[in-house]
Formats: sequence, structure tokens, C-alpha cells
Amino acid sequence: MVLELQKPRPIWQIMFSTHHTDVGLLYLIMSLAFFFMGGVLALFIRIELFLPGPQIIADSMTFNRMFTVHGTTLIFLFILPFASAVGNYFVPIMVRYKDMAYPKLNAIAFWMLPPAGALVWLGFADFTWYAQPPYSVISAPAPAADMWIFGLKIIGISQVLGSINFIVTILKCKHPDLPLSKMPLMAWSFLSSSLIVIVAIPTFAAALLMLLTDRMGMSGFFDPNVGGDPIAYSHLFWFTFHPEVYVLVIPAIGMMYEIIPRFSRKPIFSHSSGVFAFIMLAMVSFASWAHHMYATGMSFTEKTVFMVGTLAAVPASAMHVFNFLATMWGGRIKFATPMMWSVGGIALFFAAGAGGVVNSAMPLDFITHDSYWVVGHFHLFVMGTIAFGSFGFAYYMFPYVTGRMYHEKLGQVHFVLSFVGAILVFFTQHILGLFGMPRRVYDYPPFPEWIAMNQIITMGAVLLAIGAAIWLGNFIYSMGRGKPADMEDPFKLGGKYYYPYQQKTPHHD
Amino acid sequence: MRSKIGLLVVFTIIFIIPTLNYAFAAGDEPGEYLDRRVVIWNLFFRMMVVAFTIGAVVSGTMVWLVWRFRESNPNAKPTKYEETGEW
Amino acid sequence: MSEHGNWAEWVYIGVVCALLVWVGAEAWNVERLVEHVPADAEVIKVTGQQWFWSFEHEDGTKEIGELHVEKGKAYKFEVTSKDVIHSFNIHDYVVLIDAVPGRINIVWFVPDEVGEHEIQCREYCGLLHYNMRAKLYVEEST
Ligand code: HEM
Ligand SMILES: [Cu+2]
Ligand SMILES: [Cu+2]
Repeated sequence: MVLELQKPRPIWQIMFSTHHTDVGLLYLIMSLAFFFMGGVLALFIRIELFLPGPQIIADSMTFNRMFTVHGTTLIFLFILPFASAVGNYFVPIMVRYKDMAYPKLNAIAFWMLPPAGALVWLGFADFTWYAQPPYSVISAPAPAADMWIFGLKIIGISQVLGSINFIVTILKCKHPDLPLSKMPLMAWSFLSSSLIVIVAIPTFAAALLMLLTDRMGMSGFFDPNVGGDPIAYSHLFWFTFHPEVYVLVIPAIGMMYEIIPRFSRKPIFSHSSGVFAFIMLAMVSFASWAHHMYATGMSFTEKTVFMVGTLAAVPASAMHVFNFLATMWGGRIKFATPMMWSVGGIALFFAAGAGGVVNSAMPLDFITHDSYWVVGHFHLFVMGTIAFGSFGFAYYMFPYVTGRMYHEKLGQVHFVLSFVGAILVFFTQHILGLFGMPRRVYDYPPFPEWIAMNQIITMGAVLLAIGAAIWLGNFIYSMGRGKPADMEDPFKLGGKYYYPYQQKTPHHD
Repeated sequence: MRSKIGLLVVFTIIFIIPTLNYAFAAGDEPGEYLDRRVVIWNLFFRMMVVAFTIGAVVSGTMVWLVWRFRESNPNAKPTKYEETGEW
Repeated sequence: MSEHGNWAEWVYIGVVCALLVWVGAEAWNVERLVEHVPADAEVIKVTGQQWFWSFEHEDGTKEIGELHVEKGKAYKFEVTSKDVIHSFNIHDYVVLIDAVPGRINIVWFVPDEVGEHEIQCREYCGLLHYNMRAKLYVEEST
């Protein structure tokens, strides 16, 4: 791995490079930038909801645009590119190849994202991250909506290109001495999530085109007045995006598979069960999309089928949790910052999964659907599990990328604030949902319970924000001034572990 | 293996048949309506009882793991992998 | 890892699967019960549009923004929308179904106590979604 900042290079050398660590660095920087941008929007939203009545956001249109861009940004411009960053750095090393299979394609896939991000942000659409017609066709203002559609289109293509690259790198460029069965689990995670992308994304790509032609008045796929059906869009959308949630979470689990054995000073409990669970998830993730649509008027039979499909994906996730805990069992665990994030992430992963099971029990959807419960549910995943795993991995990569150590105590403060903040925000959101507060509302009637819970949530969000600010400061300072890292063993774990920058053989099994 | 599968089948059957009976028989008497609030919230609370029980077990296990196997625990001893340095 | 058996993992997975089967069966059962609309339920046509609710009773009376029903009677809502997707929600009675243009979705309930309840829209529908509310009045039966 390249010591990016110890050997400073002109920025354009990195920008025009196709080397996997350079592309990885670009992904890393961009994704973190978008994390902070999306986070600022979240803070606005939370402050607005602190009390009923308008607070700091002038009108509901602005508010609606904000949560739309917030969700779009954090899913597509933070979580996914962050995973690509990690994959770019590590997958070639893990399969012992000199670079990604198609370096130029790799750079192209990255460079599609900044324009896509610009489209999303400059347009600032208001139709939520799922652009549901008929709203998105007849009501959403142009050009914002069309810019969003094009932005997402580009992101989808970039994702497919990136995934093809990962798949080919792993399956075709892997060192012949390294059988797939011995390949590190993190590389397995990228293989399975890339496979999901290839199968899932085209459907959404088609749906976006149909949306666009509907908006231009050329077609009426989703217009009931000419025989179309808005619910068809929901099917197309969720056929892509339920599997996509596993695309988000699988790399994060892969990152935990790197960190947990290393800091427990033990090998992973069961490599094969990890592999099995990844493959299971990749397949079963396609069996559950319509659990998002229980309230759209599906028949009892349809609902049952999708409930069963949803529940069927749970054992695989549960196997990962088991694997992590069994790995820690009997270890000698060093709780440095990356390990804290991973363990905290697993705890919230479990909580989120339990909530997911409740969601999928179809009658409970009458209580929870489209209420704040759902917001709490998926944020426990996207923030509590995926972002936690990613943050931990960002700390873990830091010495390898910069050649310096971050400030350990501040890293731990960041974790503790975020863990407490996440519990305050997302657990409370579940309860607020049970009290009936709908999601995506600019304002709400002054019911005392709703006010109290919204205030708790906003205070939790402030903790998260303080944590994030500390993180930013820590990284910026440590990049230039941090203690030089011991590159053989930056975390003082001992052992002849392979260290990525040496590009040596992984000793994973 | 055979016997396990057999057992599973038996359990499935004794579980599902009463459920089916119960389900198909319900709600047919005129004037006697089912209260959806009651059945749905009851289901919710049943599931919460189970979820929180499991949650307590899982988070208890995690807290214990973290406490017991942290390297600063007086009982912590090097894992056997640390001798060879390979894990 | 060959040195340790993985019976513990099998037991664990067994427990997880058993629990999931339980969740699925219970949910299936309750869903069946609540989807069974009583034959004598009175129909109320519910229409959502940006950004208000209108109701039409069986006898032809229409209401906008408020809905009057009688205690102890079964009502069957036939929910649809004139423009975009909304979601018809009486949280206190756990009534929720999307209002989708071009479709008629069904949900039923029996108000069992005199009182007032919030009706709200639970699916994002644009500018005034947050304020797309109505009131449910449950009155003594006549
Ligand atoms: C693996 C990581 C997961 C992520 C990132 C995730 C994400 C999400 C998101 C984003 C939504 C809301 C979508 C929206 O309406 O905007 C959602 C809803 C839902 N999730 Fe998950 N989810 C995950 C896992 C699960 C699991 C394991 C289950 C079930 C066992 C589950 C069941 C559900 C259900 C049933 C809904 C629909 C809730 C409703 O709208 O009423 N999810 N999830
Ligand atoms: Cu889903
Ligand atoms: Cu609405």
C-alpha cells in the first residue's frame, strides 16, 4: 500500500492515476466528504423537528428536498463509495494481484461519481430517495427531478462497472496458489456484494428510464389514467433496492471480518460459515423485495410469500453475528478504536435485525410502516452497522494510508459519542413510530409524547455530530502531525500478520 | 439425521394444524367482531417479549465477552496463536 | 478451523430458525384474522388527494376532513387516490392502507369507544404531506 501522505505527490498525479490505491484514495476522500455534507443536512432536519412549528427551515419544500438529498447522498455517495475505497485498497492485495483487473475502467467508474453527485446536489430534488410515481412524474418539480434521475443513472452505471471489476479481479486475477476457499472473508464480501449489484441494478436502471419517459410525457408506464400502474415502479425499485441493502451491509461485515480476528489475536472462528453466509445472503436477498409494499394492497398470499422470503435471509445474518462472537471468545482483545467500532456495530446489527424481523411480520406493518419506526430500523443498519463498520475501518486504514497514527483517545471519544448518540436517536425513533408519527414530515401536531421524543432524538443527533466533528479534526490534524506509525504493527498487536502496504501473502488461514 | 427430520415434521404438524383450525374458524359469527387493535398489538407485545429476552442474552454475552477477553483483564492470557504469530 | 466442533453454531442456527418459524406462523395467523372483512361491514369510500381526505358513506353523505362513524359498527374502507400515492392511517385503531390512484384498497375496523382520533397521511405526497390530516369522530350508535 502506498504511503500517500508521507511521500507527498502533486494532487493531479493521484487524480490521473489508475493505480488501485490511488483510485481507492479518491473514493475514500470523496465518500467522506459526502458523509459530512449529508450529515449537515441531517442536522438541519433534526433541528427543524426539535419543536413543532417552523424552526430553521423556511418551508416544507426545502425540508423535503433536504431529506431526499440526505438519503440519496449517504447511501449512494457515502456508503457505496466508501466500500469501493476499501475494496480498491484491499481486494487486489488479498487476491495477490498487482492492481484491479481493469485499472482504466476502475478510474472511469470513480470519475463518474463526482458529476453524479453534482447532479443530485445542484438539482436538490424532493421526491424522497425512492422517487415514487405518480408523485415523481406529475408533481416533482423539474429540473431537480430529472437531474436526480440522471445522477442516479450514472451512479448505477458506475456501480456496475466497479462490480464487474471486483468480480473479474477476484475470479480471474487471483493468484493461482490461493484457492477461493482460502480467500480472506473481506474479499468474499466484495465478491458477493458485486454479484448482487450485477443482478439487481439493471431493474432500477430500467425503472429510471421509464420514469424519465413518463416525465417527458412519452409514455405512461406508471400512469393509471392510461393503463399504467404506479405500483409496478415499487416492484422494480424494491427488486433492486432490497438486495441493494445487502450490497451496503455485506462489505461492512467484510470489514469487521478483517478487524475482529486481528484485534482478538485469533483466527476467524469459521471461515467456511462466513463464506456460506455471504453466498446465502446474496441469493436470498432477492426473495424479499415486496416486504416494503405490504400496505400497497397486496393479496394475503403475496404478503405471505414475501414475509417468508424475508425471514429466510435472517439465519445468514445471524451466522455472521455468531462468527464474530465466537471469534472474540477466548481471544486477548485489544480495544483500540477500530475494534470498538466493530463490536458496537455488531451490537446494533443485532438490534436492527430484530427490528427487521418485526417489520416483516405482516400485521405489524399496520403499526410500523412509514412511521418513524422504519426510519429507526434502517438507520440502525445504515448508521449503526454499516457506517460504524466503515468508520472503524477508516481508523484501521489510517496508518496505512497516511503513515501516521490518529489520536487514539479522540477516536474512542468519537466512538462513545456515536454509540450513545445512535442509541438515543434510533431506538427513540422506533418508539416514536409506535406512537404513530409518520416519517418525512416537516412539522407535526404538538402531542406531548411526540415533542419529547423528537427532542431526545435531536439531542442524540447532536452527539453524533459532535463525534463526527471530533473525527474530522482528529484525521486532519493527524494526517500532518500524528505520530509516525509503526508500519509493521501500527496497533501493537504482535504476530506476523500481513500488512497491506508490504503487499505480502495474506496469512489468513 | 432421518430421525431429526422426522421429529421436525412431527413438530411442524402438531404446530400447524391447530393454527390452521384457529385461523380459518375465526371471525365468522355475526355481530362478534374481532378487534384489530387487540390482536395486532398483542402480536407486537408477544414478539417484543421474545425479542427483548433474546436481546438480553445476546447483549449480555457481548458485554461479558468484552469484559472477560479484553487484554487488560487480569485473567487475560495470550492466545495460542500468538506463539507462532499467525492468525 | 478444524480443531473445534461447531455443534454450538448448529444449535444456535436451529434456535434462530425455530424462532423465525414462530414469527412467521404467528404473523400469518394474525394477518388472516385481520384481513377477514365481516360481511355486514358498512362501506366508506375514502379518497386521498393533495392534501386532504374525503369520505363517502353508504347512504351517499360526503364529508371532507372529518369522518363520523358509530360505535360498535363494522366499517370497510375502500381507499383510493385522485393524484399521487397517499396512505390512509388511523393510528389509534391500527388502520393503515395506501391510497393508490387506479386501485381500490380495502381495510376494515370497528370503533369500539366514543371519542376523537387523528387520521393522517403516512406516505410522502409532497408539499403539505405533513399536514394532510383529518379527524375521526366515533359517536354513540343511534
Ligand atoms: C442488512 C441491512 C439492512 C438495511 C441496510 C436495511 C434498510 C432498510 C431501509 C432503507 C428500509 C426503508 C426503506 C424505505 O422505506 O425508505 C428498510 C425497511 C424494511 N426492512 Fe430493512 N434493512 C436491512 C435489513 C433488514 C432485515 C434483515 C430485515 C428483515 C429481517 C429487514 C426488513 C425490513 C422491512 C420489512 C422493511 C419495510 C418496513 C416498512 O416500510 O414498513 N431489513 N430497510
Ligand atoms: Cu428490504
Ligand atoms: Cu402524504
